[in-house]
Amino acid sequence: MSRLGLILTLAAKDWWLFWADRRAAALCFLVPIILASAFGMIFHRPSSDVAITRLPILLVAESGDPFTTQVVAELLACERLEVRTTTRADAEAAVAKCSPAVAIVLGTDFEQVRNWQPGQPLVRPEVIILHHATASAERHLAEGIFTEVVMKKLARERFGSVPGVTEAGLTSPFQVVSATNSVTANTQFNSYSHSFCGMTLQYLLFWGMESGLVFLRERQRGVWVRMRASPVPLSCVLTAKGLATAWIALLQVLVTFGFGYLAFGVTVTGSLIGFVLLVLAVCGLAAATGLLVAAIGGTEARARSVSILVILGISMVGGLWVPTFLLPNWVRDIALSLPTAWAMQGLGGVTWEGRSLRTVLPSVLAVTGFALAFLTVAVWRLKLSEHHFRQGNL
Amino acid sequence: MPLPVILSLSNIRVRYGTRVAVDGLSLDVRRGEIVGLLGPNGSGKSTTLAVAAGVLDPIEGTATVAGVSRATDPAGFARRIGLVPQVCGLYDELTATENLAFFGRLYGLTGHDLRQRIVRVLSRVGLANRATQRVNTFSGGMKQRLNLAVALIHDPPVLLLDEPTASLDPASRDALFVDLTRLREEGHAILLSTHHLDEAELGCDRVAILDRGQLVACGKPAELLRGPLTDHHALYGTLRVRPPKYLERAIRQRLASHADFEITGRRLRLSAETAEGLGRALAALLAEGVELETYRTPTGTLERALREPN
Repeated sequence: MSRLGLILTLAAKDWWLFWADRRAAALCFLVPIILASAFGMIFHRPSSDVAITRLPILLVAESGDPFTTQVVAELLACERLEVRTTTRADAEAAVAKCSPAVAIVLGTDFEQVRNWQPGQPLVRPEVIILHHATASAERHLAEGIFTEVVMKKLARERFGSVPGVTEAGLTSPFQVVSATNSVTANTQFNSYSHSFCGMTLQYLLFWGMESGLVFLRERQRGVWVRMRASPVPLSCVLTAKGLATAWIALLQVLVTFGFGYLAFGVTVTGSLIGFVLLVLAVCGLAAATGLLVAAIGGTEARARSVSILVILGISMVGGLWVPTFLLPNWVRDIALSLPTAWAMQGLGGVTWEGRSLRTVLPSVLAVTGFALAFLTVAVWRLKLSEHHFRQGNL
Repeated sequence: MPLPVILSLSNIRVRYGTRVAVDGLSLDVRRGEIVGLLGPNGSGKSTTLAVAAGVLDPIEGTATVAGVSRATDPAGFARRIGLVPQVCGLYDELTATENLAFFGRLYGLTGHDLRQRIVRVLSRVGLANRATQRVNTFSGGMKQRLNLAVALIHDPPVLLLDEPTASLDPASRDALFVDLTRLREEGHAILLSTHHLDEAELGCDRVAILDRGQLVACGKPAELLRGPLTDHHALYGTLRVRPPKYLERAIRQRLASHADFEITGRRLRLSAETAEGLGRALAALLAEGVELETYRTPTGTLERALREPN
């Protein structure tokens, strides 16, 4: 039988072994779909033409003077805040329970704000913003909106008496135009695209690990001795193992993305060729990961524990769980040394960012490079251990 | 006229680190012959079989099958060998047919020829009616029979079996030896390892006794049994029920001064320095409620050779 025939026979065996436990095989496809759907839902944000989410805050006004009362009224009317007035004690108790997370306290001397004159010294009254320890972002948002409301109020009071100036004319001196910065027009962040790319990648790595563990198990069983006694070179065994792993990984990608397309509209808005190349590269990465696990894993239990830790780590840092723009800069810098980050960047680029082949080519090359590096180390180690095996150094 | 030598091991030397596992072993196995490798654990039986199967490279010496060595023609060498590993070399998740088809294809068998061979070997080992069932539903004896069938799928002239009866009950063991005898009659050369004297004595044409990697005796079991009687007396038996561990310990303590015994599954080996000692030991065992199903008392040098090779 030719080498190709042997490789296909060995790969087909792995294919049948994969399908032998149909429930386990089905879970290989279902789990990433379920997780991707859940992550997509969690990170889903309405697009810009939909009403914004209002920030709930508590407002404590310790003075009943007219200026403070008017500011309270304007805050209550603010469309970006969901304001509820209360006492200081209640506000402190509520914020401590993070319900809501922010409270603004206007002190008894808050009215002095209206005496503010540009360039004139002023004893500035304190505005206390109480916030829960976990609500740093909400606290900044509340402060910004509050400042805007108060400054608008002051501007109206200062310039309202100027002849010819109406309240309607007191608009902002600039206008904000919101636009997403992407290669193609009208691109919106699609949390489902991100989550389906991320979870597919993560589970391809897990599948690679599982394939490596099966290989380790096989080597500890009588089948390995029998296989090594047969006229099959080790290179055929390793090629077939890689081929079968990549083959099943490709099927996982097709099923997962197929579901994403049908259920959540996950599409390839960029280069289709780029997408295909990336998918082939990540399938190769899964296969190389499998061989690497088999090569350096040691025992099955040890290989499983270490692999899970590594895969979860590089998934998290590589932005497979949450988009990298939510991660700190130092994490993003570390991620550049990981195949997951490059793969994610490429897949995100061709799915929701609409990038061209030229712009995702670095990702394709990086992922392929990682796969080749893993493969080289794995084959070297496996050949070395085969040599030791043949020499009796088990 | 003796049949031609088909498997030849010449001056084989294998080392595991600093320990010499096989030391200058030479052994020929002829067509239509069953040779048993006999020796205690660690004597080099499995290592010898691994070299014969081509999965282990000796640091010295050569293994040839029908004149073909692994070094010159690895594929040709492998095609002439059928290996039955001690731990079943089967995929539990696949059916008997799928296992046979997979291993058959590794030996270049395809299509109608492969299908015919699968049917033939399955019926030969009595598993034709289990062809489409997964191996994980098989008993230990059935797995061992399928293990043998896989080794036969490419019809090799040489069969190597590594402790094939290790996990078998007496009935399965007898069935296996019936199969092996039939294969011998068909002209296969069979080399098997065992540490059971009765198997070597009853099932093998020749016995090669290994100790610490060296071949210390080789000949027909009868020749070895015809050796001078010694001061050593032994009894081999099959127990009706294996005694519980605590009872085994108690008996061992009672017999410690004048006899030695070993229980493997339901097999019993009892030995003593004198006939009187053996009788006392047997009486002590029976007094503890241990029931013997069968027993026999060989009194030759085979046991002596195994225990005291030098």
